[in-house]
Amino acid sequence: MITFNYIASFFLIALGLYCIVTKYNLMKTVIGLNIIDYGVNLLIIAVGYNHGGTAPIFTPGELNPGSFFVDPIPQALTLTSIVIGACVSAMSLALVIKLYESYGTLDTRQIRRLRG
Amino acid sequence: MITTILLDALQYLGYILIFPGFLFCFLIGMLLCGIDRKLVARMQKRVGPPILQPFYDFFKLMGKETIIPAQANRTVFLVAPLFGLAALVVIQMFIPIFSFSAFSGMADIIVILYLLLIPALSAIMGAAATGSPYAGVGLSREMVVIISCELPLVMVLLAVAKTVGDALGVGLCFSLSDIAAYQAVNGSLITKLSMIPAALAFMMVIPGETGNHPFDAAEAETELCEGMLAEYSGAPLGVYKLSHAIKMLTLTSLFVALFLGGLGTGIVILDAIIMVVICVVLTAVCISLVHAITARLKIEQIFKYYWTVVSGLALISLVLAWYGL
Amino acid sequence: MNFFDYHHFPVYSIMVLFLGAFLIVLMGKNKTVRNIIAFAAMACSVACMLALFKPVMLEGEIISYWMGNRSIAGGYAIGIALEVDALGLFFGLLISSVVFVAGLYSFQYMSHDDNQQQYYTLFLMLAGGVMGLVLSGDIFNMFIMIEILTFAAVALTAFRNQVYGALEAAFKYLVVGSIGSTCILVGITILYAQAHTLNFAQLSLLIPGNLNNATKLAFALLYIGFSTKAFLVPFHPLAADAHGAAPASVSVLISGVLTKSGIYGIIRLTYFLFQTMGLGSMQFMLVFVGCVSMFVCVTMALAQHDFKRLLAFHSISQIGYVLTAVGLCTALGISSGLYHAMNHTLFKGLLFLAAGAVLHETGTTDLGKLGGLSKKMPQTTILFLIGAFSISGVPPFNGFASKWMIYQATYQKAVESGNIGFLLVTVICLVTSILTLASFVKVSQSVFFGQLPKEYENVKEVGLGMRFAMGLLALACIVSGLFPELVTTYITEPAAAAVFNVGNYISAMGFDGSAVAAGTVSFESVGVWTPVSWLLVLCIALLAITIVALAGKYDRVSAHEGGETVDTKYQLFYGGEENVFSQVGGDDLFWGFKHNWKGYFNFMHDMHSGIVNDYALWAVVALALAIVFTQIVL
Repeated sequence: MITFNYIASFFLIALGLYCIVTKYNLMKTVIGLNIIDYGVNLLIIAVGYNHGGTAPIFTPGELNPGSFFVDPIPQALTLTSIVIGACVSAMSLALVIKLYESYGTLDTRQIRRLRG
Repeated sequence: MITTILLDALQYLGYILIFPGFLFCFLIGMLLCGIDRKLVARMQKRVGPPILQPFYDFFKLMGKETIIPAQANRTVFLVAPLFGLAALVVIQMFIPIFSFSAFSGMADIIVILYLLLIPALSAIMGAAATGSPYAGVGLSREMVVIISCELPLVMVLLAVAKTVGDALGVGLCFSLSDIAAYQAVNGSLITKLSMIPAALAFMMVIPGETGNHPFDAAEAETELCEGMLAEYSGAPLGVYKLSHAIKMLTLTSLFVALFLGGLGTGIVILDAIIMVVICVVLTAVCISLVHAITARLKIEQIFKYYWTVVSGLALISLVLAWYGL
Repeated sequence: MNFFDYHHFPVYSIMVLFLGAFLIVLMGKNKTVRNIIAFAAMACSVACMLALFKPVMLEGEIISYWMGNRSIAGGYAIGIALEVDALGLFFGLLISSVVFVAGLYSFQYMSHDDNQQQYYTLFLMLAGGVMGLVLSGDIFNMFIMIEILTFAAVALTAFRNQVYGALEAAFKYLVVGSIGSTCILVGITILYAQAHTLNFAQLSLLIPGNLNNATKLAFALLYIGFSTKAFLVPFHPLAADAHGAAPASVSVLISGVLTKSGIYGIIRLTYFLFQTMGLGSMQFMLVFVGCVSMFVCVTMALAQHDFKRLLAFHSISQIGYVLTAVGLCTALGISSGLYHAMNHTLFKGLLFLAAGAVLHETGTTDLGKLGGLSKKMPQTTILFLIGAFSISGVPPFNGFASKWMIYQATYQKAVESGNIGFLLVTVICLVTSILTLASFVKVSQSVFFGQLPKEYENVKEVGLGMRFAMGLLALACIVSGLFPELVTTYITEPAAAAVFNVGNYISAMGFDGSAVAAGTVSFESVGVWTPVSWLLVLCIALLAITIVALAGKYDRVSAHEGGETVDTKYQLFYGGEENVFSQVGGDDLFWGFKHNWKGYFNFMHDMHSGIVNDYALWAVVALALAIVFTQIVL
């Protein structure tokens, strides 16, 4: 079961990279970045998964010897990663807006003043 | 105690100012320059100037008015030639005369390689400071000539370092005095098979480094009006002429130190005379003869020549040295 | 609890920067308040680092510090830890001092820009991010810091968004930088899945003996991530774009600080985390990438016609030197590499500040438009020349000292390993050095010398604050070049020794690192170079020559009599042609060189197409190659 998570996450990362490499639209580039991000989040969560584990919320009294948690650290990492992903989106979208204002296009093939 | 320090200081001052420093460089460099001019003239069936002509030229220039162009950067314009000359004198002191070296343990061959840049670099800076378009073209060509010479020179020096290091059993030897000491015992390096291409390559580098025919595209009197020296006059021009003369001595004596180190006798004065004689012969072969029989190359031809023919020779030598031949 | 115990200082040096950023957002409306806060934050950070010099560098203590007073529980080190060894402190010291100088410079340099509040916030965030990265002992914390510094750097690149290309550069940097950061995150996740810890010391204990396909993949991912941060080939176009577009004070940080953080990451990755540097193939990988970076970027720089873009390519070229030296895996190699990293920060900072001074006064950095500024900006010219001579390795400046050590290290490596390839490395290093000199001759000819265009006749020297900052760096360049022995003995050799002593690093965190063998550390080099005595000799010779020159009849006639040129003899020689503006410079200065290589130069020009997809493709290809390579050889 968990193998599918790994496959899906690497598929998402590859899909995002494919999107960035082949699509000539700035918006699609940003979308590609986001897809990569989802893939990474899925991967982190999958790493922390324990079969049959419950949510890692510690409340005294509830904890009995038979039950156990999924690994809480990857969940914390995922939260951080989600925040960072949001930052990437926000920053890149802001740049896309400014780029559209000054270049009048979203085509990456036109946005190449700096080259050579 | 104090007297020994004073005596030491006096001795080093003597090294710097008289032998093998400034005065020695001045006299021998100018002599080489005069011999070169005479030889070229004779090869071209001209009478040629007297051998002492460079001395007369130099003293005449020192007495002339120095004109600083209005738009030049005065400081750089005036200081640059002095730095170049001083650097050359210092290099000359690091190059051992067979077993005698004035300052050992201060610099190795990599340092020499870089110090050789300083005269050219100061000439470039001085030329750039004038703002003259002739100087601009001249300095750009000079820089390309430096780049051209660098690759073969590097490989020659590394080959020498490897050969001597192998023989001494330490793997590598960058120190010039160790190279000299090794040759004093085991005979000149040129007798080794691997060093013959290196010596040839170095001989080809000599005219390029000194900016002599056919590699004088940077000065090119006929098209660039002396290029980098176009705006110079009076004393600074004299200093440049002197630097050029000393550079001949530096490179030829470096050749002696690297490849012919086994000819020394152990007596300093005799050694110096032997070295000067070899330098004269080398100048005659590498500079005068080549000058007389060739026409000036274009700058891109110079580059191609050095990075293919000369570098190829140096590379052969490096590979041979690597396998200990 | 004693707040002035030096064990707290690593935290302080990071926190003051973030605190400063926070305070500037809150109350930085007023210029004076803002500057005071920024100055205080940067000064505190430097002071904390300096105070650690004695215990860490000289006495060899390794400071490990747990945030929130946690400790190792159940054999697993979970929690945020800082760990400062000599290597970390070396980078920390370097970074905090450059940040300080760049900050001083920006007080005047940025004074005409609006939104300065945001500028200083981002500036301090960037500085704090890098400090956090190099002092961190926790790999996920490292990732967070990398993200912070990447965002700050992207935002600062686009800060002057009216500048030609700034937005574009920022976007490209963001896209490829994000791919790099993602690689790091995935690598960290895989490591966590394998070792169940994020602590650097514990990972260094657990990973090396237990390499499997997953950890090899993690190695490749982390390597690509850190090389994105160091802008190594094939990520160099981003550096060129970002440096060129950012304000000069930020370019200093990007080139002097960000690239160093990438190098730091690579050292930690290869020498500590995986301890794979003993393998010939790993040495080959780093040296190969280093040499390619060195050579490709120096030739790219020769073809540039923008001052800052040219400097940016040189930056990566010098980082190539550092990586090459580090990749040799000899004590001398690492010591020289770190020395060069330090020198690169100093001289490249100086050069960027000089470029900023030119931009500040003339409003352009286009080499084709500038010229003859040495008469108008004499002090900047001298400072620029010091930087240029340093980077091109003219003795006795610092660039020479470190490059000289690198040549020895590479050649020694060649002889010791009997591998003829390293011989080629020495040759490439030496040739790159001369090409560097060539391109700086080009810059000095096209910007500071040559003819002054009409529109720059009223250009003035820059203000004292900017000159002071440049002067500090120039002084550091000269001093670190004149006393190479002091620098190596007290700064780089302890740091290099730390690299070979991973066991201590692990033990300091509370694990048993005694099983990790300490490498043999010998800093012997074959060459000799004593700059001070050389300089003494040079000075005496110079003095003698000056006296002789002055003793002759030496009529120095001043050209200016009453401000106007009175005589035509003081005008330039034009061979009878009309005196029109004839500045030689810019693109075609080294025509003779380029002509022979025109195929190569045209190819490189076409390759650096400026399309973000291409750069992303390069990143993906590099990642694929790295993965395949590590799977095969590790």
